[in-house]
Amino acid sequence: MADTTEPTPARIAERTAPPEAPGAWQAPSAWRLLQIWLMLGVQSFGGGTATLFLIRRAVVEQQRWLSDEEFTRDWSLCFIAPGINLLCMTVLVGHRVRGLRGAVIALTGLLLPSVTITIIMTARYRSLQRIDAVQAAVEGIIPATVGLGLMLAANMARPLLAAARREGRASLSISVVLLAASIVVAALWRPPVALVLCCAGACGALAMWWRATRRSGQP
Amino acid sequence: MIEPLVFFWLLLKASLFSTGGTGNLPSLHADLLARGWARDQQFVEALAIGQISPGPSGLWVIALGYLTDGLRGAVLAAIAISLPPLLVLVVARLHRRVGAHPAMQGFMRGLGLAVSGNIFIVMVTLLLTTGVDGRSLLIVLASIGLSLSQRVPVPVLLGLAGVAGVVVP
Repeated sequence: MADTTEPTPARIAERTAPPEAPGAWQAPSAWRLLQIWLMLGVQSFGGGTATLFLIRRAVVEQQRWLSDEEFTRDWSLCFIAPGINLLCMTVLVGHRVRGLRGAVIALTGLLLPSVTITIIMTARYRSLQRIDAVQAAVEGIIPATVGLGLMLAANMARPLLAAARREGRASLSISVVLLAASIVVAALWRPPVALVLCCAGACGALAMWWRATRRSGQP
Repeated sequence: MIEPLVFFWLLLKASLFSTGGTGNLPSLHADLLARGWARDQQFVEALAIGQISPGPSGLWVIALGYLTDGLRGAVLAAIAISLPPLLVLVVARLHRRVGAHPAMQGFMRGLGLAVSGNIFIVMVTLLLTTGVDGRSLLIVLASIGLSLSQRVPVPVLLGLAGVAGVVVP
């Protein structure tokens, strides 16, 4: 994974080393890296946003592995990469510091505590599942989870629709139709989900491309 | 009977072709239910555990792995959700070349809208199959209202819902 445009630790050092110690920056050892990310993993109670806040403070303000702008740019990339955004961010930061090995170390450190605790919590839940009070509580929690899921769907669609609205009525109509069509198709025919997603992506790509070429044709 | 390799592939595939911690939900829901390897109830339980447990809420998949296939399932799920994020390095490089292309942006928008629509459908399905009544609809609305107010942390919100489940007849 040699990448000439990725900042090397040396280049990070030029930019971010504290002024009183020029050139003294060294890539932290693998062990030290693991420690830093394990600490972040242990503190990751409170979900994604809180954890992102902690990561930013650790890697931008305390370790100075990357600048504020780099952090923001990396974070926006995570929204178009596969998998959990926070883990993508962990990979990007880890990679900046120590290449692919750094990425794997960072991922391991962040996940080890939270995955272990999640497994323990699930096991505990399963052993208590049959108790009446627990079942009653779960019956209350299920609709609350559904409510949160509906909010999640709305929050996912909202910025996309807002961006489309800024481009004009045609873009907004296309986006609304895509959203409505994906709901109707999924509800009525239950086709493979990947197929629906790919078709919607292809429609979106065609629409945007068509719009761009038409615009450049008549400036 | 769950076949571990196929199970792993379904988990991996769902994360590979989606973005975010819950983008894999529609695909997993369809695949695991079709094979009879998971029930609707287990999906909701796993989602709730993912909200309460530390780390990104995307770790709900690990709870799902445990509920459906025990410790083996949890470990398979942990591996399956750790691998796709590594591809962000490829995406970062690709993005420097074609990220600004309108077709690329249009694809991401279409994809996001369809994922949102599919999550909506999964949520409605989960509610319908686990049983709808006045109380559950009320809790759905209350949780939407509370999360809109942004004053109540999610674990507290789920705790309140649990109390409501016990107290409200």
